[in-house]
Amino acid sequence: MTQQWLSLDPPIPHTHTHTHTHGCSFLVMAILAQLSRTSRSACWFRHRKQLFSSFRRHALIRRSMASDPAATDTTRFDFLVIGGGSGGLAGARRASELGAATAVIESHKLGGTCVNVGCVPKKVMWNAAVHAEYLHDHNDYGFDVGNVRFSWETLKAKRDAYIGHLNRIYRSNLDKAKIQTIQGHARFTSDPEPTVEVNGKKYTAPHILIATGGQPSVLCDDEVPGASLGITSDGFFELETLPKRSVIVGAGYIAVEMAGILSTLGSKTSLVIRQTTVLRNFDSLISTNCTKEMQNSGVDLWKNSQVKSVRKTDKGLEVTIATKDPEKKNEEEKIRTIQEVDCLLWAIGRQPNSSGLNIGEMIVDTDEKGHIVVDEFQNTSRAGIYAVGDVCGKALLTPVAIAAGRKLAHRLFEGKKDSKLDYSTIPTVVFSHPPIGTVGLTEDEAIKARGKENVKIYKTSFTPMYHAITSRKSQCIMKLVCVGKEEKVVGLHMQGLGCDEMLQGFTVAIKMGATKADFDKTIAIHPTSSEEFVTMR
Amino acid sequence: MAALWRGRHRWKRTNCLHVLTRNLTGKYDYDLVVIGGGSGGLACSKEAAQLGQKVAVLDHVEPSVKGTKWGLGGTCVNVGCIPKKLMHQAALLGTAVKDAKKFGWQISEPICHDWSTMADAVQNHVRSLNWGHRVQLQDKKVKYLNIKGSLLDEHTVKGLTKAGKETILTAKNIVIATGGRPKYPTNIPGAMEHGITNVALECAGFLTGIGLDTTVMVRSIALRGFDQQMAGLVTDYMEAYGTKFAWQCVPKRVDKLSSGVLQVTWMDNNTGNEHKDTYDSVLWAVGRAPETKALGLDKLGVQLDKETGKIVVGADESTSVPNIYAFGDIGEGRPELTPTAIKAGKLLARRLARHSAELMNYDSVPTTVFTPLEYGCVGLSEEEAEKRLGKDGIEVYHAFYKPLEFTVAERDASQCYLKVICERDGDQKILGLHFTGPNAGEVTQGFALAFQCGATYSHLLQTVGIHPTCAEELTKVNITKRSGLDATVTGC
Repeated sequence: MTQQWLSLDPPIPHTHTHTHTHGCSFLVMAILAQLSRTSRSACWFRHRKQLFSSFRRHALIRRSMASDPAATDTTRFDFLVIGGGSGGLAGARRASELGAATAVIESHKLGGTCVNVGCVPKKVMWNAAVHAEYLHDHNDYGFDVGNVRFSWETLKAKRDAYIGHLNRIYRSNLDKAKIQTIQGHARFTSDPEPTVEVNGKKYTAPHILIATGGQPSVLCDDEVPGASLGITSDGFFELETLPKRSVIVGAGYIAVEMAGILSTLGSKTSLVIRQTTVLRNFDSLISTNCTKEMQNSGVDLWKNSQVKSVRKTDKGLEVTIATKDPEKKNEEEKIRTIQEVDCLLWAIGRQPNSSGLNIGEMIVDTDEKGHIVVDEFQNTSRAGIYAVGDVCGKALLTPVAIAAGRKLAHRLFEGKKDSKLDYSTIPTVVFSHPPIGTVGLTEDEAIKARGKENVKIYKTSFTPMYHAITSRKSQCIMKLVCVGKEEKVVGLHMQGLGCDEMLQGFTVAIKMGATKADFDKTIAIHPTSSEEFVTMR
Repeated sequence: MAALWRGRHRWKRTNCLHVLTRNLTGKYDYDLVVIGGGSGGLACSKEAAQLGQKVAVLDHVEPSVKGTKWGLGGTCVNVGCIPKKLMHQAALLGTAVKDAKKFGWQISEPICHDWSTMADAVQNHVRSLNWGHRVQLQDKKVKYLNIKGSLLDEHTVKGLTKAGKETILTAKNIVIATGGRPKYPTNIPGAMEHGITNVALECAGFLTGIGLDTTVMVRSIALRGFDQQMAGLVTDYMEAYGTKFAWQCVPKRVDKLSSGVLQVTWMDNNTGNEHKDTYDSVLWAVGRAPETKALGLDKLGVQLDKETGKIVVGADESTSVPNIYAFGDIGEGRPELTPTAIKAGKLLARRLARHSAELMNYDSVPTTVFTPLEYGCVGLSEEEAEKRLGKDGIEVYHAFYKPLEFTVAERDASQCYLKVICERDGDQKILGLHFTGPNAGEVTQGFALAFQCGATYSHLLQTVGIHPTCAEELTKVNITKRSGLDATVTGC
C-alpha cells in the first residue's frame, strides 16, 4: 500500500498580500459555442421534420394494413430508451409513471457517466482534496493535527463502494417502476419500423429515445506517437494509487478539475495547454483568475504547448512537449521533456456515443462530430426517434439531460405538446480550487449581442472571511453582466469558496429576469460571501 | 474586508461633490448626528456624508459585567456575527478532521484544540476591522467621536468623554442606532456574578465542535420565531453531534464552589424535581435588551415600547419626536440583523439628504443560523403561513436529501431537509423557503433574491439544477406534505 505523506507546508505556497491568491481548480462549461451551432441546425431541421412527418404518416398506414410476421419476434414497448445514464433513466422513470410500458437498454453500468465516471466520483475526489486544504488551515484555527498522511487506496475503496451502492439504487428504482432493464449493446436494424437488436433479440416501440451519452476523446498513436500510453478521465477513476508525477493535457473544465484534485492531494502536476489560459469559453475574468489560482496552488502550467510524443521507460513515461509562443514569431519552437510521469491524462474534449448504433440506417441526422441533431423538442430527423443528453452535444450536464428526458416523457405520454427544456440560463459549476460558478452570458458575449454601450459590468473581489485567520489565502471574485437601461442581469460569474452552493438560487432569479435593482433590493445574509452580490455597487 | 477597500474607491468619486455642499446648513453644527457606531450607525453616517451632509458619529462601549470592552463597529464586528462565524468555522474544521479520516487521511489521535490560538486570531481580525472602520470614517469625512451621547432636545446631543468632559453638538437630525446588549437574568442568584452572555445554539454548537462538553438548558422551545420543524432539526442534529440539551428546565441559582467550578441548580419542569451539576462556565442567552437608558429619551417624550423598552418607530424610522430617528436593533419590531440595519441606515440617510424617498422593506428578510448544521430561510414559517392562509391554503413541498459530502464521510443526514411553502392556488407563489444543510448561508442568498422577485414553485422547477450540490435539491423538490409520501431523495 503506497501512502503519500503530506507535509503541512509545501504544496500550497504562502502569500502575504491580498492580490495574490492560492488556489486551484475548476468547473464545467464549454456550452456556449455549441449552443449557437445547434440553434442554427434546429431551424434548418424544422423544415425537414415536416417533410418527414408526412412521409411517415403514409408509412404507418401501410404498415398497419399489412400483417408483418416478423413483428411477433419483436418485443414491443411504449417507450424504449437506449442508455441507462442520467437522461435515459429520468425519461424512462417519468414515462413509466405516466403509464408507458418502458424498457432501458444499458451496455455497461446503470447511472452512466455522471454516477460512474463523472460528477459523483469527481466530486468525492474534490471533497477529499478540500480536506487537504482544510488540513493546512487547522493550525490557524487552533487545532493541533500533527502529521497526516493520505491513503488513496482507502478513498478509492470507499468511493467505489458508494458508486456500487448508487448502481444498485438505480437498478432497484427501475425494478420498482416496473421498467425492464435490458443488458447489452443496442443496434438499429433495417426493419421498416424503427427497431433495435440487443444480443440477438429485437425490441421496438413507437417512441425510441437515444440517450447513449459520450466518452472522453482520445488521440491515436498516429497523431501523437505513444498517445495511447496515457489515460482519460475514465481511467482516472481506475487509478489504484496516487500518481507521484502527473501530466494533464487540456484547458477545459475536466482538465482543470483533474489537475486540481491531483495537485491538491499531493501529486506533482503539470498542465499542458495550447494557449495561455484555461477555460477560454468562460468569462475572461474567470479564465484569467482560474489560471492564476492554479499556478498559485502549485500546478506547473505549460502554456502555448502541445504534447509531441510519449515514450515508456522503466521509470515511467517520458512526455515530450513542444512550446512556441505565437507572439514571438522569430523564436524557435522549444522541445522539452517531462520524465518519470506515472499518470498522463488526456482531457481534450468528449465525443458522442453514436457510432455503434447504426443510426445511419434510420436516417437520423448527425453533425460532423457524430452528435445526433435534435430540435428544441428533442426530435431527431426520424419521427419516433428522440435524443437527449451528451449524445446531442449541447450543454453536457447531468441536470440538463435529466430535465430534457422528463420534459420529453411529459410530451409523449401526457399530451403536453409544449413540454420542452429551455436551454438558456443553464448554470454550471466547475469544482476547481476554489470552485467556479457561472450562468448566462459572458461579458464579451453580452457586448457582442447588445453593443458595448448597453452593457454594464459590476465586479468585486475580496478575501472570504474564512481566510481572515488562515495563512493560506484564496480570493473570491464576482462579476455581474447587465444589459439595457433596466440593467437586466444576463450573466453571473464567480470563483471562490462556496461559489458551488451559491449559484443555484441566483440562477432562479436570473431566469425570472432579475435586474440589478432586484439584487439591490434583496437583503444580505451576514456574514456570507454570497451577500456581496446584493451589496455590489 | 472587501467592503472596506471598495468603499475607499467609491469615496474618491463623490469627494468633490461633498466639499461643495457641506457647511451650507449653517444653523447647526451638523446636518446629522448619529449615536451608535455599529453596523447601522456607520452605514447611515457614511452614506449621509457621501451625499454631502455634514455628519458626526458618536460611539461609546459600556464595559460588560465582566469588564470586556471593544472598538468601533458594534455588536456584529466585535461580539456578534464576525467572531461567531469564525468560531463556527473552527467547529466545522473540527468536524472536517473526523470526515477527513473517512476520505483517506490518516491523522494521529488525539486532536487537540487550543482555545487561545483561535481566540487570538479572531481578536486580531476583529481589531483589524475596528481599525478599518476608523479609516473609512476618516476617508468619508465623517467626524468620529468616542464619547457617550445623550439627547437634550430634538436638535442637541450632549457628549460625555471617559474623563467626564462634556461636549454639546447640535444637528438638524439625530439618529439613534445604539443597538442592544445581551440580558442577564436578574432573578437568578449568582447569574450576574458567574455568567457570561451570548446567543445560545450557535455558541453551544461551536463549543461542542471544538471538543468542549456543552449543555444547553431550554425553558420552552428553541429558536422561537423560526419555523419549529426546522428548529427541531437543528437541535436534533446538535444532539447527535454531542451537544446535550436539558429541555423544559429552568435555572434556580448559580454558586461558585471552593474548587472554583460553578454549581448550577435547576428545576426540571417535566418531573418537578430539582437538579444540581457543576460547570466551568455558565453562559446566559436569554435575549437582548436595548441600550436606551442613558440616552435621556424619557425627558424628550420619545415613545418606548413598555414591554421591550425599544423605541417605537414608523416605516420611515421616525420616532414620536420630530427630527429624531431610530433604527437597527433598538427599533421596536425590527429584526436584530446586521444587513437590515445597514440597509435601513443607508436608506434613512438618503431620505434625510432628500436624495430618495425609498423606504426600507422589512418583509422578505433572509437569515441564516450558523449552528453546526446551518439553517437558512426567507419568508414565512410554516406555522405563520398556515395561520394566514389556513392549512388548505398552502402547499408545502419538502425533501430529505443527503449531501454528497456526507456519504463517503458516513455522516447521518437525517436532518438535511428543505421545504418550500407555497400558495396552493394560482401560480403557487412561494411564501417561505427553508433549508438545513452545509453552506446554508451561501445557498439561501440567491433564493432570497428570487423570493424578492416573486418566485413561484414553477420558477424553481424550470431552473436547471447544478450537479452535484445541495442547493440543486431546491429545484428538484416535488413531494408535497399533503401527499404523505416519503420525501427522501433517491438517486441523482
